[in-house]
Amino acid sequence: MTTAAVTLSSVLFAIGVFGVLTRRNAISLLVSVEIMMNAAIINLVAFSRLYEPEAMTGQVFALFGIGIAACEAAIGLALVLAVYRRFGSTDVDTIDLLKG
Amino acid sequence: MTESQNIEQLLFVAFGIVAAGGALFAVATRSLLRSIIALGAFLTAVAGEFYLLAADFLAVVQIFVYVGGIVVLMLFALMLSASGVRHPMAAIDRPALGAALSYVIGAGVLWGSLTTDLPSVGAGTDDAVDALGRALLGSQLWSFELIGVILLASVITALVIVRRERR
Amino acid sequence: MEMSLPLTFAAGLLWGAAAFTIVGALTAGLVLAERKVSARIQGRVGPMHTGPHGALQTIADMIKLVMKEDVRPARADATAFRLGPLLVAVPAILSLAVIPFGAPLVMRDLNVGVLYFLAIPGVTVIGLLLAGWASYDNYSFLGGLRSSAQFISYEIPRSLTVVTVVMLAGSLSTVDVLDAQATVPYAVLLPFSFFLYCVTSLAEINRLPFDMPEAESELVAGYHTEYSGFRWALFFLAEYAGFFAAAAFGAVLFLGGGNGPLLPPIVWLAVKTAALLFIGMWIRFTLPRFRADQLMRLAWKVFLPASLANLVLAALIMRALGS
Repeated sequence: MTTAAVTLSSVLFAIGVFGVLTRRNAISLLVSVEIMMNAAIINLVAFSRLYEPEAMTGQVFALFGIGIAACEAAIGLALVLAVYRRFGSTDVDTIDLLKG
Repeated sequence: MTESQNIEQLLFVAFGIVAAGGALFAVATRSLLRSIIALGAFLTAVAGEFYLLAADFLAVVQIFVYVGGIVVLMLFALMLSASGVRHPMAAIDRPALGAALSYVIGAGVLWGSLTTDLPSVGAGTDDAVDALGRALLGSQLWSFELIGVILLASVITALVIVRRERR
Repeated sequence: MEMSLPLTFAAGLLWGAAAFTIVGALTAGLVLAERKVSARIQGRVGPMHTGPHGALQTIADMIKLVMKEDVRPARADATAFRLGPLLVAVPAILSLAVIPFGAPLVMRDLNVGVLYFLAIPGVTVIGLLLAGWASYDNYSFLGGLRSSAQFISYEIPRSLTVVTVVMLAGSLSTVDVLDAQATVPYAVLLPFSFFLYCVTSLAEINRLPFDMPEAESELVAGYHTEYSGFRWALFFLAEYAGFFAAAAFGAVLFLGGGNGPLLPPIVWLAVKTAALLFIGMWIRFTLPRFRADQLMRLAWKVFLPASLANLVLAALIMRALGS
């Protein structure tokens, strides 16, 4: 099942990269980053099961990854709201002022 | 190979297709609302993969934190940042270039992970929840505590950022 | 569990259909019981005409609902409007899967069952938000935002409260939690947790005195204002399935579920669940409704600190007694 997991994770990662490269909306960027995060977490879990079943290091780090993703989403969306209040849009290209 | 292992593999592939489809829809649709719903479907399918990879606890945490938390947060942000009750759309920039670059990066990652030689140890333990708990409060205790600090810091940061300044 | 592939899928489909039927029947029974209880409390007789003492009233109501025209507002977002009720109803039914109804009827003994029960209803928030948003209506939108804010706020103290039970039982499996209460139910050992669980559950399933999202005097009917027919019936089904699940889970976590002398487990569980359901209805027709801001203040300034203190105290006492 390793091959399947690794393939899936690579495909998902590529999809996430595509989103980050092509989307210009801040919320869409967050969506794409979450997809990339999940691709990495799938790898951690798969390797944890297949190569280190007793120590659980992979699953522990997957758990930390999910925790970090929650932090990232909270701060990211707070920024989205702050930007929306100032510029009236959540498009990252509209944020082009160097001073407030 | 037994029958149940076969079913497991088939389910793994099925969840994988759902996950990839959801992810693709999430990055390709112009409707932000649909993009977030597709992300929810993708995350649920990934939770299914976790369950098949003997990580039951992670599967439930994935639903708890990602689907019940992050997706809801994104919906909130979308609804609060939409002007009026209108359905916000988002443009897609230069999709051909993006597809080419992401294909190269994805292929590179796949090649790297398939050619790296990792020693196989064997099947996982049965009681993953028990082992995970022991690891979290044993060998990984410091990282566990640090995650708590990071979560607290990010909650405070998020609050400071969104707080309206009173003048 | 050696089964061929088509058989596995057939069994899964069968379980799904059975669960839907059971939940439908449960809802019918619960609605009738609620109407009779409310009538009793308010000095009326309740439905009397359809069937003996109105026993078939809810069946008739359900048939009426399913036959009704499905109206969708002209400017509503079609996909989200259809998805909303489904995302509310399906998790409510799925959360019943881990309740140990008795020896032959545990649908699934997950070793993370308790966490599963807490996590799955979180998905309904997405459905509520979508339904409120897609209806293209201010009342629906406000109701959707309110109910999801309420759900998220009360989810935290509720989960923290259930952690005390998990600590005492030493397992996340609902069956293990039940076995650990073979002699003394946890309501006796953790009375404060039991109280917190009941109150926060009432808030989480949007029932009076915490039914802000549907406060009909201010929001018409909250997030389901624009729904009718079968889709409205799905919301209704989800509400009562959630009510039942919260009561049954409370009976399993704190009242020892199916443990009891003489009678079979399923009867004991039914009796304990019915008792909790009756208390829920009693509260509904006795207490006035909270205001939206009072509700949120209560969640963050009273229940969150109380549940944290409860957790720390329970942990300290367990440590001191050395079990």
